[in-house]
Amino acid sequence: MPRLRTLLVGLALAAPTFTSVLAAPVPACAGETGPRGALVVDTGPRVLRLCVALDAASVSGIHLIELAGRQHGLQHSFGFGGQAVCSLAGVGVDGGDCFGEYPEYWGYWRGDGRGGWTWASSGAGSATVGDGDVDGWVWGTGDSGATHGRPPRTRIDTVCATPEPDPEPSSEPSPTNGGANGSNGGGPAEPSPADRPADGKERKDPDRPESSPSEAPGDADLRAASGGSLAASSSGPPPALYLALVAAGALVVGGRIRLRRRGS
Amino acid sequence: MSAHRALHPGAWIAWATGTAACAFVTTDPVYLLVLWAVSWFVYAACRVPEPTARSFRIFLVAGVVTLLVRTALVFLGTVTVSNTVAAALEGLRLATILVIFGTFNAVTDPFGVVRLAPRRFHEPALAAALALSIAPRTVTSVQRVREAQRLRGIRVSPLRSLPALAVPVLENGMEDALTLAESMDARGHGRGRRTRYRPQGWTPAAVVTAAAPALAAAAFFWAAFGDWAELHPPTSPLGWPDADGWLVAAALLPALPGLLPRGER
Repeated sequence: MPRLRTLLVGLALAAPTFTSVLAAPVPACAGETGPRGALVVDTGPRVLRLCVALDAASVSGIHLIELAGRQHGLQHSFGFGGQAVCSLAGVGVDGGDCFGEYPEYWGYWRGDGRGGWTWASSGAGSATVGDGDVDGWVWGTGDSGATHGRPPRTRIDTVCATPEPDPEPSSEPSPTNGGANGSNGGGPAEPSPADRPADGKERKDPDRPESSPSEAPGDADLRAASGGSLAASSSGPPPALYLALVAAGALVVGGRIRLRRRGS
Repeated sequence: MSAHRALHPGAWIAWATGTAACAFVTTDPVYLLVLWAVSWFVYAACRVPEPTARSFRIFLVAGVVTLLVRTALVFLGTVTVSNTVAAALEGLRLATILVIFGTFNAVTDPFGVVRLAPRRFHEPALAAALALSIAPRTVTSVQRVREAQRLRGIRVSPLRSLPALAVPVLENGMEDALTLAESMDARGHGRGRRTRYRPQGWTPAAVVTAAAPALAAAAFFWAAFGDWAELHPPTSPLGWPDADGWLVAAALLPALPGLLPRGER
């Protein structure tokens, strides 16, 4: 009997290991058509992930936004001599003072190549974005990487999953009136209703209005990578959470049984 | 009674250090929850007879209080959901470390730890052992004083009798410490040759007990510094905590000592 229980608890311990092996990411093929970078724009209520074809081996962070404006119609405006970002996707400051709504401003993050983010140490005008790089912009408060909101984990292969340079519709904001040339007069680049569900569900955040609760919980990046065209991710708890709960429950019950057996 | 007693105290020190190190680098409630369950399981499986084992409950309560206080501190400043959750998660991390420490107290004899110290460090080790055992000793002391008060017909209302309780408890604590130090001195601890009654060796069980949490801690540190997993859930804006299957498995490793078959130690 004790051996059986030991075995059961042992299995409960080993279960997460196996499932994590099963859930290992399917590597997505990178595009074979010229250098590409990814741009993540997190306005708070929604997250845009854009695959941007670069027009040079490396461009500046500012130029990446301009390219995203041309290719995806991302509304944007710059200030301080074109070196600072004032507004993106209709969120931000109208006018040239990009810190006009301080403490809220557009924070600049650089992808670390593994899906994580580091707080940019230089301005977007002097930052270089090469093939496979990921740039992130988050509207919010906080003066450093420790306090400023951080974009959801994103890898280049989840955003630029399909080989054709034409962006997949699911990640495109499909602007109605966004100024492709960087003027801020165009108004917010709202996605068309058909595209709405695909946008804004990247962050695992129950508070975000546009997240779709019907989506099965799952590691967004991994599913997007294996799904190919789906660059957006769902909100909801990660699958390992359930495994952790099951394992913790097994341990608690196992502990109870042991205590009772000892007669205390 | 329990064969666990024979486990090398150093193994338990390594267990507590390794497990606490896992909790130290993360504020992810998923991993912390697993560590609570692991601590409870090891406590249930390996605890030594009373009253030392009581310290688990004390540290559990202390952990919960820590969590509440850390969260309540937020209300002194600007209150947002984000910073309340962030504070609660930090409190949870601290509480987890306390619970792990509670398990350590419950599964090992703190004075057995003193024996590990090299001779020249005997005195600091003794002080450390006294500090480690303060919780269980205080509980026993409180119980004794309460009982004495009750026997004398003193009505024990928890609040009013506090001063009457505190003085004898403190006195008892001091006396205990002195008695312990004297008795250890008298038995030749700290000077000259020391004999060991039933020396405890590094049995395979002790090695497993020490190595499993070390492995887990290595995984967590690798995740923290290699940055391949999110160890701090997003709080601004609020988001679901990340849970990596490998790290969950790693956090479960310290439960191994509780799974070792009894009697083979």
